[in-house]
Amino acid sequence: MMSLLRKLASLRLTLVGMILLAVLAVIASRRADVDAGVTVVPLAILVINLLAALLTNRSFRAQTGLLVFHVGLLLVFVFIGLTVLLRFDGHAEVLQGTAFDAAQVETVDQGRWHDNRLDGLEFYQGEVRINYLPGLNRQDTHSTIEYRTGSGELRRVAIGDTRTASIDGYRIAATFNKGFALLLQWSGDDGSEILGAVHMPSFPEFDWKQVTTWTTPAGQEVELELDFDRPVSSDTSAWTFGDTSMAYTVHVAVAGDAPRTLQKGESARLEGGAIRAVDLRVWMAYQIEYVPFLPWLFVAAMLAIGGLAAHFARRYLPATVPAGTDKKEDALAHVARA
Amino acid sequence: MSLVLERQLVLVAVLLLAAATLVQVAGVVFGRSAYRPTAGIYTAVVAVLAAAIAGRWVREGQGPFLTLYDILLSNLFSLAVLLLLVTASLPGVRSATLFASPLLLVLGVWLTGVSEIATPLPGAFDNAWLWVHVLSGKLFLGLNLAATAAASVMLLQGAVPSRRLAALAAQPQETEQQIWALFFVSFICHSVMLVAGAVWAHSAWGRYWSWDPLETWTLVTWLMLGGILHVRSTFRNLSQGVGHALMLAAFAVAFLTFFGVPFLSIAPHKGLM
Repeated sequence: MMSLLRKLASLRLTLVGMILLAVLAVIASRRADVDAGVTVVPLAILVINLLAALLTNRSFRAQTGLLVFHVGLLLVFVFIGLTVLLRFDGHAEVLQGTAFDAAQVETVDQGRWHDNRLDGLEFYQGEVRINYLPGLNRQDTHSTIEYRTGSGELRRVAIGDTRTASIDGYRIAATFNKGFALLLQWSGDDGSEILGAVHMPSFPEFDWKQVTTWTTPAGQEVELELDFDRPVSSDTSAWTFGDTSMAYTVHVAVAGDAPRTLQKGESARLEGGAIRAVDLRVWMAYQIEYVPFLPWLFVAAMLAIGGLAAHFARRYLPATVPAGTDKKEDALAHVARA
Repeated sequence: MSLVLERQLVLVAVLLLAAATLVQVAGVVFGRSAYRPTAGIYTAVVAVLAAAIAGRWVREGQGPFLTLYDILLSNLFSLAVLLLLVTASLPGVRSATLFASPLLLVLGVWLTGVSEIATPLPGAFDNAWLWVHVLSGKLFLGLNLAATAAASVMLLQGAVPSRRLAALAAQPQETEQQIWALFFVSFICHSVMLVAGAVWAHSAWGRYWSWDPLETWTLVTWLMLGGILHVRSTFRNLSQGVGHALMLAAFAVAFLTFFGVPFLSIAPHKGLM
């Protein structure tokens, strides 16, 4: 058993693991058909190698700095593994003046062990204000949301570039993605009344093409185009995204029919009912993330770096010995071997 | 400070680096120490570049973090500062400027041909971790350059036996110790850069690690640095030359990661609309 452990603890195996990790990382980043998950193999080799070294190599354990560095690395691997298994990453667009709807979340990545609690996540979207510099360069983002803390206290915060909100363990971060939304009232011939919003393409990324298709509750496909009476964004001067008080026109186009235009409050007759342009709002896209061990991952990484620094101090900084003694030469010889 | 004056200062720095390179070559040809005149020239380079950076910072209202011009300018400054400090405090690696000076000259000439138009720093990028990430990165590159350049001189000494070259590192044992000490500290700085970069990336665009080309090649560099230290522990009878050659290979990868990958890859380090 000890013989096997010693073989597994080999420094040559460490080098094999490191080379394999580097090679697979490069391949995974360059080829779309190779998942980054392949790096698990060399990482597993390195973890086994390190555990075996900790068990069998007494001189390794005796060097505190080196030991702390490697234990820190081991913890980094453990926390990365837990993060991969428990994490959740998704995106959601939330309409100004409405509450977050878990059903609208688009999952990007979800760990096998993640206990999805998005249904219990509640926050309300308030005003959005994003300042731009000339050249369409985003300067700062302020997206106001309201939510209740664990103690029931109502909290109102403007999240944005460097500020996020943490609700029920989920991290809510504003993304660069946002746009306008048309609040429409559907009055069906069957007497149904539905109020809903159609999110227009991201703004200002698609300020030249504020067009989208929408299927009415009666099943008819309609093309909606949002047209502002004056330019909303500017490439040459500073401007702010978030104002919805400007005049606008909605062009409604149906295949085989002449296009119609709607102003705020006006209606258009369609198959099976009519739509009315109720209001203009903005939508804001968020990253909804759950990474429970992230702070611990940071602590483990800093522990490893601290160990590395301690090892450097022991190995390379000259020992404090009286000048002219043999010990000084011994110390230099020791440093040279390190 | 006007852009014209900034450009003139950069040009002066490049001319000074050309002078430093010539002084280094002359030192080898005439078999004399070029340390003092080189240190004087480097001090002038640092002063001139500091003025150019300060002027640009005031004019643009942000630090040199984003564009290729910013990266080249700030790294030229930090590399010159670190080489000056390292050679002043560690006499064993003073020979590093023989190879470092032409490299800095190349960076300087490259800088003169790059567009100096600034890109506003997105608000999400601007936090304290950006500073930790950038400063530890510059420390890594500067210390690693000093170690690698001094190691390259020793490689040259091994390949071309010459009394004049031998004079560049009169005490090889001391030089060897200092080279590896610098290499080790650069590894620590690289580790800090990697961790701070992950924290910053998580804050800036919600991903602490996303296997983009820059992150991947930074990890490869880190593995190379750690691997070289492991090789040195594993193969006790490893020749000095092989250790130095490996160091040179790691620096080449680090250099390409710093100055190549960020400007050939996708948006993260340039900001999104």
